[in-house]
Amino acid sequence: MKKLILGAVLITGSLYARDVMPVNNKLYANECGSCHFAYQPGLMLENSWKKIMRNLSNHFKVDASLNKKDTMTLTSYLVKNSSDKSSAYLSRVITKYTNPNRAPLRITQGQVFRSYHEEVRSRFFKRKSVGSASNCATCHTTASRGIYNENYVRIPR
Amino acid sequence: MKKKILVFLLPLGVFASSFNPAMQNYVNDLKAQAKSDNTNFIDFSAKRGEQIFTSKHIGKRGKSISCSSCHSLNLGNKGKNVHTSKVIEPLAPSANTKRLSDVKNVKKWLRRNFNDVYTKQGTALQKGDVLYFINSK
Repeated sequence: MKKLILGAVLITGSLYARDVMPVNNKLYANECGSCHFAYQPGLMLENSWKKIMRNLSNHFKVDASLNKKDTMTLTSYLVKNSSDKSSAYLSRVITKYTNPNRAPLRITQGQVFRSYHEEVRSRFFKRKSVGSASNCATCHTTASRGIYNENYVRIPR
Repeated sequence: MKKKILVFLLPLGVFASSFNPAMQNYVNDLKAQAKSDNTNFIDFSAKRGEQIFTSKHIGKRGKSISCSSCHSLNLGNKGKNVHTSKVIEPLAPSANTKRLSDVKNVKKWLRRNFNDVYTKQGTALQKGDVLYFINSK
């Protein structure tokens, strides 16, 4: 019986293991999360975040500008928690397979994202209920907790 | 007793569409600017604001867009960001008391959204008109 419980705990533990550290910054969750899913900093390299934060007034052709103070606070939060600084599993994979000199501006452009989603048909991403590949939490029901495990993927109709 | 409560609540209803003191200060600043831009200026207009809010323009992305593209035509309803599909809480203060309550936030979104829809900053007159329109909802 004890073994069974231990086994169950181990399996559940690995299912619920955090692939990246969840967002723990209120300013980040409010500011960035008001327009899109608040991507965990551990999903991209420091270099990617720096590039993004340098040009918020033209953020994928949308004005996402902030005042200087908030921009600096958020840049430092993102850099400190970027994939290169994190020991979480997915962060380490992303760091390992991304060339820092060619760090992408979009998570979805990254090599790791692409290979993990290779088997996901592009028409799924285009579904109205999904919107685009950038809406992590639409299919990854546990995304906001930093869990991207495929066991919790539910692609909406 | 019930009548008494009603009598007390009535004035609140009448003034429900007024701004909080910080917001009123900001609106007054906009008024002063609008007056200095045009000496004929008297007051902002919710009607002109509605036109600004609902009319379509070629926006920052090179596509036809209006404020209501994301905020919907009924400000009491939830909207949806057309770029990201993220739900936007209602803009009408009557449906969402957080709206038009924080000057910093209001300034930020006026700056961003005028850029996105009109590809330039709004004038004091335009900003005031839009604020009157939203506040009337």
